[in-house]
Amino acid sequence: MKKYLSIALSLFVVSSLAFFVKSIKEKPLKVSVEKSNIGTFKKQKSCVRQPNFLRKLRITSSVAIDLSQQNYKGLAFLYGESFTEVLHLKSWEKFDHFSAYALTPKGDMFLTPMPYISVKEKTFEFQKNIYKLDSNSGKLSIWMSLDDVIASSNNPYGVISVEYDCDDNSLWVSALDETDYRNSRGIIYHIDINTRKILEKVEAIDALTLKLIKSEKGKFLLAGMAKENALNAYVIVDKKLQKKPIKLLELDDSNEHIRKISVIGKNSLKIKSIPFSYSLIAQTQESSIRKEYIFKWDTIYSRFFIYKNNI
Amino acid sequence: MSRETKISIFILLFGFLAIGVYWFLGEKNGYSFKNERIVLPHRGAEIFKDLPEVKRYLEDVKKVITTTHTFLELEDNELDEKAKSVQKFLLTNRAFLQDVVDAKGQMQHNDMMTIRPAIVSVLNAKSKKLCSVTTCYQAVKYNFVTNTTTRAIVDVKSQKLLELKRFKAMQPDVSQRLRKIAQAIALNAPEVKAELGEEPSIKEMSMANVRGSVNDSPCENREHLCVAPTFSYHDKEEALWAIVDLTELKLAAAKWAGLGKTATPSCISERSFQNREVMEKYCQRDTTYVQNGWSLAYRITGSDGLEIVNATFKNRPVIKSAKIVDWHVAYRAKEGASALDGSDSYVAGRRVEYVKEKGDAFFFGYNDAMGCPMFSTSVVLAFNVPQIKPLVKKGKNVGFYIVQDYRNPKWPMACNYRYENRFEFYKDGSFRVVGVNIGRGCGEDAIYRPVMRIDLNLGEESFSKFDGSWSRWLVEQSDFQKDAKQYAKNRYLYKIENEERGYYIEPNRGQFNDGSRGDNATLFATRFKEGEGEQDLLTLGSCCKLSEDGVERYMDTQESIDKEDIVLWYVPRIKNDARAGHEYCWADTVLENGQLVVKEYPCIVGPKFVPIK
Repeated sequence: MKKYLSIALSLFVVSSLAFFVKSIKEKPLKVSVEKSNIGTFKKQKSCVRQPNFLRKLRITSSVAIDLSQQNYKGLAFLYGESFTEVLHLKSWEKFDHFSAYALTPKGDMFLTPMPYISVKEKTFEFQKNIYKLDSNSGKLSIWMSLDDVIASSNNPYGVISVEYDCDDNSLWVSALDETDYRNSRGIIYHIDINTRKILEKVEAIDALTLKLIKSEKGKFLLAGMAKENALNAYVIVDKKLQKKPIKLLELDDSNEHIRKISVIGKNSLKIKSIPFSYSLIAQTQESSIRKEYIFKWDTIYSRFFIYKNNI
Repeated sequence: MSRETKISIFILLFGFLAIGVYWFLGEKNGYSFKNERIVLPHRGAEIFKDLPEVKRYLEDVKKVITTTHTFLELEDNELDEKAKSVQKFLLTNRAFLQDVVDAKGQMQHNDMMTIRPAIVSVLNAKSKKLCSVTTCYQAVKYNFVTNTTTRAIVDVKSQKLLELKRFKAMQPDVSQRLRKIAQAIALNAPEVKAELGEEPSIKEMSMANVRGSVNDSPCENREHLCVAPTFSYHDKEEALWAIVDLTELKLAAAKWAGLGKTATPSCISERSFQNREVMEKYCQRDTTYVQNGWSLAYRITGSDGLEIVNATFKNRPVIKSAKIVDWHVAYRAKEGASALDGSDSYVAGRRVEYVKEKGDAFFFGYNDAMGCPMFSTSVVLAFNVPQIKPLVKKGKNVGFYIVQDYRNPKWPMACNYRYENRFEFYKDGSFRVVGVNIGRGCGEDAIYRPVMRIDLNLGEESFSKFDGSWSRWLVEQSDFQKDAKQYAKNRYLYKIENEERGYYIEPNRGQFNDGSRGDNATLFATRFKEGEGEQDLLTLGSCCKLSEDGVERYMDTQESIDKEDIVLWYVPRIKNDARAGHEYCWADTVLENGQLVVKEYPCIVGPKFVPIK
């Protein structure tokens, strides 16, 4: 029996190696994302406030910030009964169109640009800036230019989304300019507001929108992805963004991309989506192709499910 | 060395070798987008009209439209006895039939799709209570014109309509009859046959991916009724997904994909197939083509339409680059200029520019760039891929042409546009750069100006204009073709040549028998300079300042062009016409036999380049 030991050993070595190679070979080709949950979360009290100049103008009722560009270029404040009153200054049009905003506890507003419908002489140049609407004066100015952001005719998008971090008075900002058809080269910047210093720059993330969220498992930056129809979460540890995403959900339609995220209750997210293909967003896009969903976390199946759509 | 040791060594060596071969050559499992291949059809619905299933269906639809004024009934083999009585009841129910005619009383194509026992989840509280003690059926009808699904809940015994709901822009599960038609179209589509490399069999086809619920359609921007029959090949772990458009009765697109999770029907849409095919094959790289002595490359640009590059005829360079960089669109308003505040405004997805005229009149309009459907600044996007077709004149094949269709997604609705970029190559070495406008635009008083950029590759070129005799242009300048009174040989107004060879330029005055009313063009000859259009140009100049075409900016210094690399800019000027019987640069949608039919009235412009013999 002993004389056959070498044969048995060699068979064992070969079969073990074959099993190992086969398991590596059959691993999915796509870079996998972690599929887990981010823990229980709920709507938190906001640390930010509306700009002070609104109070000076005696606009004390609820205010909606209109970046839709449908009726007003740049930004407008809607207020009064049914939001029919409008505050819009001509000077708020000078940097063309805006995509997203973030308020601060002082009432300052940071805005990100957006190319809209037509490209004009300064359109690409505008896409590298983060803009600030001063809380007291209402003056709109360029707060910071990210010179490595270069929009072009092959991808007219630059800085696209912004989120304020109440913990350390900083901004999380996303840019899409370096992405092309084949490669995702978007960047998330973490910027200290006081020093205007870039604290962190995380590459290869194409985030169309950003939202900070705190759960029992920690602090996360949610990102509606620009290339995929997915919502990813990136954990923040010691103020550093971990690059490995947790995929929270995927929309049914591959052409839909998440444009806005809000927490509306315990384990509930309101999601707004648009078709997005790194081309200009045109006004002809009917409201029917802009969709809204409420997703709720299903504790039994450990996944998000659609609670309501087209709300 | 013992025999056992030798066997062990052999097992190890052979085993390592086999594993090595498997590692480097074995098929990789798992799903990859790289494995996907998209198939776009090159022919329309006409090739399917003679299929027995389609032919009989179209005859039945016509009969319903012209005689019964109801809906196409489900055939008996799809109905049980109760369902038959429900269908009979609904054929005379006014509320259910309310949407089979439009506001003008014209019939619209409607099909009953399913009549089945009602499921509890679709019932309201009242019906739920009633249907628990009696038999209720749900009937689902689809209106192909308005893209609306109607669901009726009927109490079978009392023949009473309990509920009626209409779902706009939604499509239902289809009837067995339409499933069979979809199968027939998929099985007989030449593109499917070519992909499968054999006569496809119905046994290989799965119809699991027909719409299973009232949901979004995968084709024509969700406005048509579509299903996706699939040919699965489990041994190869891939499947061919065919999208069949049941509104137009044609193959819309197909895709080879893995059988993995990522190939679920939700990932399939005609638009995303087209976009990926256009992006991967025509926006990311040049495609070369050789025929009739011509050798050339073409590509779809980000914002300058289809571009022909490096064309040679019989191995001699002819074209360095030819493309249409822009369409200026201007509308005239007779009054209202005084109320304009000079700021931007947007109409139907475009930035509107205003140019004041004398008095209170003004021009307003847009600059339309055509380009890739993704990663671009264009609003009129490549629709399907470039097509190459034979060029037939008076029944004779005289060459070939390459054409690219560009559309606003909602064309032919108002303020949406459709343009074709066409390049004709003749066997005799002639070629023509052609712009086609198929409306519809925002109104009847439009002036369209396509800006054509043509850079020939003759070397040390000289340019001349005919005004009784040929006079050479020594510096950059422009000319109004529409003002010309004399043409050489009654055809040619300009010529570009070097000492060895050259081309006459024959403006279009309607002589090409394509229904054109002429170019009425402005021609500019400029010296080639980097940054002046050799790469993608953003919109060039004003849409609405009719005294300028945008090219003037490249002639500021009036540089010498004699024996230089000359770039020709040719800007036709077209006036659209919407008068009945005289339509030009126009499109309209009419209801014919219950179906929406698009009537196209193209205007075709562009000069022909004829070799100087």
